[in-house]
Amino acid sequence: MPIDNTVPGGAPTVNGTTSNVDKGDGIAGINLDDIESITVLKGGTAAALYGSRASNGVILITTKKGRAQRGIGVEYNSTFTMDNVAVIPDFQYEYGQGLDGVMPTTLAAAQASGRRSWGAPIDGSTNYMGVDGKTHPYVAQKRNFQNFYQTGTTFTNSIAFSGGGENFTYRFSAADLNSRGILPGTTYKRKTFNVALSGKLGSRLNFEALAQYNLEQGHNRTGAGDALGNPNWTPLEIANTADVRWLAPGYDSAGNETIWNDAAIASNGYFVINKWKEDDVKNRFIGQASVSYELFKNLVVKGTVSRDFYNYNYVNILPTGTLYTPLGEYVGLKSDLSETNSMLNVTYRTRFAEHFGLTAMVGANSRKYENKDLSMTGKQYIIPYFYSFSNLASSTTRPFTGRSTTNSVFGSADLDFKNLFFLTFTAREDWFSTLSPKNNHIFYPSVGGSLILSDAFNMPSFINLAKIRGSWAQVGGGAPDPYAINLTYSNVPSSGQPLLNVTQDQSAQNAISNPNLKPYTSTTYEAGVELQTFNNRLGIDFTYYNRKTTDDIVKTTISSTSGYSSVIMNVGELRNHGIELLLTAKPVRRGNFSWNVSYNMAYNESKVVELAPGLTSVQIASSVGGWGLLQHIKGQPYGTIVGTRMKRDAQGNVIFNRGNHLPVMSDLMPLGNSVAPYTMGLTNEFRYGNFGLNVLIDGKFGNKVFSIFELYATRMGKLKSTLPGRDKGLQLTGVDQSGAPYDTTITQAGGVLRNYYDNYKVYSELFLHDGSFIKLRQVILSYNIPVNKIKIAKIQSASVSFVARNLFILYRETKNFDPEQSFTNSNAQGFESIGLPRTRSYGLNLTIKL
Amino acid sequence: MKNILKYTGAVLGMIGMVSLQSCDKDFEETNTNPDATGRVIPQYVFTKAQYDGTSNMLNFLLGTMQYTTSYNDVAGFGSKYNAAQISQTYAAFNNAYPNEINELGIVIKAVKDDESKINLYAEARIWRVYCFSRLTDLYGDIPYSQAGLGYDSSVYKPAYDPQQAIYANMLAELEAAAQSLDPAKPTFGAADLIYGGATDKWKKFAYSLMLRLGMRMTKADANAARTWVTKAIAGGVITADADIAKMSYLSAGQDINKNPLALNLWNSDYIAQNGNTNTEGGKYQDVFITYLKNTNDPRLPVISVVWNNGVPDTSVALQKGMPATLTNAKPANFVSFSEPNPKTILLLNSPRLVFTAAESYFLMAEAALRGWYNGATASALYQNGIQAALRQWAIIGGSAGTIPAAAINNYVAANPLNTAGTFDDQMKQIYTQFWVSIFPDAQEVFASFRRTGYPALAPNNYAGNATGGKFFRRMLYPLTEQTLNTESYAEAISRQGENDLLTRVWWDK
Repeated sequence: MPIDNTVPGGAPTVNGTTSNVDKGDGIAGINLDDIESITVLKGGTAAALYGSRASNGVILITTKKGRAQRGIGVEYNSTFTMDNVAVIPDFQYEYGQGLDGVMPTTLAAAQASGRRSWGAPIDGSTNYMGVDGKTHPYVAQKRNFQNFYQTGTTFTNSIAFSGGGENFTYRFSAADLNSRGILPGTTYKRKTFNVALSGKLGSRLNFEALAQYNLEQGHNRTGAGDALGNPNWTPLEIANTADVRWLAPGYDSAGNETIWNDAAIASNGYFVINKWKEDDVKNRFIGQASVSYELFKNLVVKGTVSRDFYNYNYVNILPTGTLYTPLGEYVGLKSDLSETNSMLNVTYRTRFAEHFGLTAMVGANSRKYENKDLSMTGKQYIIPYFYSFSNLASSTTRPFTGRSTTNSVFGSADLDFKNLFFLTFTAREDWFSTLSPKNNHIFYPSVGGSLILSDAFNMPSFINLAKIRGSWAQVGGGAPDPYAINLTYSNVPSSGQPLLNVTQDQSAQNAISNPNLKPYTSTTYEAGVELQTFNNRLGIDFTYYNRKTTDDIVKTTISSTSGYSSVIMNVGELRNHGIELLLTAKPVRRGNFSWNVSYNMAYNESKVVELAPGLTSVQIASSVGGWGLLQHIKGQPYGTIVGTRMKRDAQGNVIFNRGNHLPVMSDLMPLGNSVAPYTMGLTNEFRYGNFGLNVLIDGKFGNKVFSIFELYATRMGKLKSTLPGRDKGLQLTGVDQSGAPYDTTITQAGGVLRNYYDNYKVYSELFLHDGSFIKLRQVILSYNIPVNKIKIAKIQSASVSFVARNLFILYRETKNFDPEQSFTNSNAQGFESIGLPRTRSYGLNLTIKL
Repeated sequence: MKNILKYTGAVLGMIGMVSLQSCDKDFEETNTNPDATGRVIPQYVFTKAQYDGTSNMLNFLLGTMQYTTSYNDVAGFGSKYNAAQISQTYAAFNNAYPNEINELGIVIKAVKDDESKINLYAEARIWRVYCFSRLTDLYGDIPYSQAGLGYDSSVYKPAYDPQQAIYANMLAELEAAAQSLDPAKPTFGAADLIYGGATDKWKKFAYSLMLRLGMRMTKADANAARTWVTKAIAGGVITADADIAKMSYLSAGQDINKNPLALNLWNSDYIAQNGNTNTEGGKYQDVFITYLKNTNDPRLPVISVVWNNGVPDTSVALQKGMPATLTNAKPANFVSFSEPNPKTILLLNSPRLVFTAAESYFLMAEAALRGWYNGATASALYQNGIQAALRQWAIIGGSAGTIPAAAINNYVAANPLNTAGTFDDQMKQIYTQFWVSIFPDAQEVFASFRRTGYPALAPNNYAGNATGGKFFRRMLYPLTEQTLNTESYAEAISRQGENDLLTRVWWDK
C-alpha cells in the first residue's frame, strides 16, 4: 500500500532560523522488526502497478505476516546502540582567543571575541579572561566537540506473536523505541503496534488485513540552518582557548540568555539546549484490507482499500530572554494528513497451446490525498517566560488545505514461452485532479522481455544461468501541488483594514499559476544481462539504462521584476543514463565455513537538457549568507554548485583591489556537481559455524560539497589556513585592477588581516571540496546461540550480534567534516551547513524466537 | 472458457464504467483552494500596496546619511560600506516588484476601465509613481514599462527602461492622474490609509511628487526640471500640516499594521530598552547628534535619548553619538551613546511621513533661488520649511514630539537664510536643513544629497570598504538579475555603466 513519506510542514531550509527543525519523515514510522524484506523497484517497469509516483522507482517494504504453525510463535528483539560524533575538525591551536593579536583580559573583551581566535600566541598566560568572567590559563581547548555533545543512545525492544492454521494466520507486534540524541535534551520515542491477519473463507474467498498504530514523540529536535537557535554553531565557532562548558548553563538568574560573543544571532548553544523548547507528537494509523475471490478457476478478483492517516501537533518555543529576540516567538503546527487508496483488480492465469503461459491483469485505483494544516505563529510573550499561544502580543492562525485525487485504470499481460522467453506488456492511464480538465490525463505503456539463453541454447558447462533482458517503459506523471492552475487571492493577516494579495506558495512567494499544465512523460530504455557460473559461485548482473524525462513540470524561478518569483511550466527535459553492475561470488565453501562477496557499482550521468525557453539556470537553494548557491544549469548535470572565485588574470595572478587590499571577486560560475555520479558497495559475509561476520564498505565519488562550517571557521580564525601572516604580516602579491603588479603586506593592526581572512567568505571556491569517500559503513558480528543444546523453555533460535555503522571513513577529501554531512532531506544536497554532526554508532542486538 | 470470457467481460466492463464515470469527477472542486478566492477586491489590494510601498525602505541609508551607525560590521554597512555586505543593497529592488508594484498592477487592472472608479485609478497611479520613483532613484535604470506583467502577459524577463524615460513617464502620469481626480466620484475611502480617499489631498500629493521629481532633474536636464517644477507649484503642493501625506499605523497587532521604521529599529536593536544589549549594536552616529547639539536644535531631545541609570534621558548635555569607525567590537562605553527616543522615533503607531510640507517649502526655496518661482522669497520659504519641520514632530510623537512655538521661533530666528551668500552657500543651508528635517526618511535625503552635494558630509574610509572610502552613488541590482534576466540586465549595464555602487544614475551625472 502507498504510505505517506512527507515531512509535516516541510523540510528545514539551509538558512532558516526560527523553528527550522527536521520534523521527521513518514518512513521513519516503520518498525524495522516488522519488515520481512525491502525491494527497490527501479524506473518504468514498476509504474503500471504503482502509477505515476513510481516514475523514479518504488521502495517496496514487505511486512511480516503470520505463518501456519503449531502453537504460538514468539519473536523478541532487543537492540541497544550508542552514537558518537564521527569527525572532529582539525583546528589551529597556535593563536588563541582575541582580536588583532591581543588576548582578552576583561569580560567585555572576552565577550567581544568569544567567537574569534585572532588573539595572541597560545602561551599559557594566566591573566586570560573567559566569557564566564573568570581567569583561565591561555591554553588550547581541544575537546569542545566531545564536551558539548554526549553519547547518543537508542534502545529498541519489540515482541511479536504469530501463528495460525491452514485457514487463518495472524501476527501481532509491539515495539518501543527510545532514543536520546547526541545533543543533550534531544529525545525521540516511538511506539508501534501492528496486526496482520489473513484467512481463507472457503475455497475461493481470501482476505488480508493490516492495521498499525504509531505514537511518535519528538522533543527538542535540533535546529538547522543559520546560527539563531542552531546549537551546533557553538562548538564550531567558540574560540580555541575557551572551554565550551564556560558557556553553560547559557542563562542568568532571570532565565535570560548569557552573552558569549558579539553577535546576538549566534545563540549560546546551552541556552538553546536548556531553554528553547520543541515538542511534536504524531498519532498515525495505517490500515489495509483486501478481499480476493476466485470467480473461476484462475480468475481472481481482488479489492483493496488502504489508508495512511496521521495527526500531528508541533510546537516550537523561542523563549523570552533570547538575546536576538528578547520577547520570544512561537511556532505551532497542527497537521492532519491522509492518503487513501481504493483498488480493484482482476487477474487471470492460464497456460495454452502447450508451451504458452499467460497472466493477465486489469485494475483501477483511486488515490485521494488530503492535508489539513493549521499554522499558529506569533511573537512577544505578554507575560514573560509563559509560553502559551494565548499569551502572545501578536499572533496569526492560518489554515491550509491541500487536496488531490489521482484516478487510474491499468492492465498488464505476462506471456512466456516454455519458461524460456518472457514478455511483459503494461499500460496505464492516470487522471490528475491538480491539472486542468483540458489535459488532465495521460496514457503510458511499457514492454519488456527476457530470454534464458542457458536453457534455450547449449552452453559451456561452467555457465549455470545466462539471461538477457530489455525493456522500454513510459511513465506519466502529473501532480504539481494542488491549486497551481488558477491565480487566486488570499487575505493577508491584518489588525486594521482588510488586506488581500496574490495567494502565496509554500515558500511565501508569488507563483504564476498555469492553466495549461499537462502531465509529463519519462521514457526509459533498459538492457541487461545476468550470468551465474561455476556452480552458481560467480555471478554477474549488468544493466544499462537511459531515461529521458520530457515536459517535466518545473517550478522555475523567474526575475522578480515580473511581479512573481516563479512560474510553473511543462518545460523541463532531463536525461539520466548509466550502468549498474553487481558481482557476486562465493569464493570459499568448506565445511561449516563460507565466504560470500558481493560488489555493486553504479555510474549515473545526468544532464539538464532544457529548462525553459531562454532560461539557462534555475536556483534550488542558497546557503546561509548566500555564499554558495545550488542551481540546475542547462547542459550541466542535475544540481550544480554555483559560486565565486578570486578573480585572476591570464597568467593566474590574483587581481587585488588597491583600495581595500582584497582580491577581486569573480562573477558567479558553476563550481561542481553536487550529486556523486559514481557509487559502489562491497559486502563480505563470512560464516563459521554459529558465527557470522558481515562487513560493508561503500563509497561515492565525483561530487563536490560546499562547507559553510569551514567558511565560518575561517572567519573566526579557527582553521590552520588562517595562520599565515599572524606574526610578521601577510604578503599579498598579484596584480591590481589595471594589471600593474601589486605587492603589499598586511598585518593584524587595526583588524586588517582579520578582515582580509573574514572576506574569504565571498570566494566560494575556497570552501569547496571533493565529496568522494569510502566508508566502513557496517559491521555485524553475530553468534547463533546453540539453543538446541541448552534445552530451556522452547527456544527455537537465539542470536546475539554486535552491530556498528559508520565505523571509519577510510578515505575522504574533507579534513574537517564528514563528506556526507548534510542537514536536510530536501534539495540542498551539496552544502555542509552546520547541522548535527554525523555519528559513528555501535551496539548489541539480541533476538530470541520461541 | 466461454463463461470465463463472459464474466471477465462483465468485470472489465464494470471497472471501465466505474472509472470512466469517475475518472475526473469532482476534480474541479478538489482542486479549488478553500482558503483563497478568485475575486479581486481592489481596495484591499490597494491598502496592502500602501503598506508595502511605505515599508520598502533601505534602513542602512540612515547610516549612510550619518544619522546612525553600529559597531557591528553587518548592521553598520550603511555607515561603513563593507565590501562583504554589498548584497544588502539588493533589498529594495527585490521587495518592490512582487509586492507593491505587482499589487498596484492588480488594482489598476481591476479599476481602470470603469469610469466610476476614476479616483481609484488615479490614486493607484500616483502611488505607483511614488513607489517607482523611490526605486529608480536608488538603482537608476529599472524594469518599468514591462514590470509586473508576469501573470498578465507572461513577461518573465522585463526590459530595463532608461531612467530619463522613466522620469518622463512618471511626470506625465502624475499630471494625468492629478487632472483626472473627480471629487464627485467614489474613492478608496477608509482603505486609503494616507488620505482616507480625499481627492483634493491626493491632487496636492501628486503635484508635490511632481515638484520632487522635477527638481531631481536639475543636473541632467535643467529645462525639463524648470518646466515640471513650475507646473507642480502652479498645480498646488502640500504646504499645510493637514495635507501632509502620512501613513497611519497601529501600536499592536500584526507587524504589517505597525510603523515599519519604528518596528525595524525596535526589532533590530532597541527592543531590550536598556541602552546596552542592542541586538545589532546600533546607536545614533556622532555626526548627526553633534550637529543637532552644535546648532541648539530643539529636535534633539525629541529624537534622542541616552540610557542613564536604566532610564531613557533626553537631557541635551548627555547626548552623544557613536563614531562609525569602530571595528566590529563593542566599545566599553556603549551604553553612554544616544539612541532613538522610544516616545517618537520608536513609537509603533506613529505615522510615517511620506511627503511633508517642509519638503515642499525647501524645494520651493530652491526654485525661488533659481528664479523659477517668485510667489515668495527663498528666505521666507526656507523659514516656512524649518517651522513646518519642527511642527511635524507633534504629528509623529504627540506631546512627546511637540516643540513649543517659542522654541521654534527662537530656532528660526537663529538660523536665517544667508541671502547675501552665493547660490551655493544658500543651497548648502537649505539642504543641510533638509537633512535634519526630512529625517528619518534617509532614502529621500540620500537622493537630494547626491543631487546637491549637501549636507557636506565626509565619507568613512573603513577598512575593507566597497567604495574606496567614497559615498554610494546608487544601489546594486541583485545578483539574481544576472542569472534570471541576463539580456535585459546586460543592456542596462551597457547603457548606465557597471553595476557598481559608484556608478551615477542619469539625474546624478
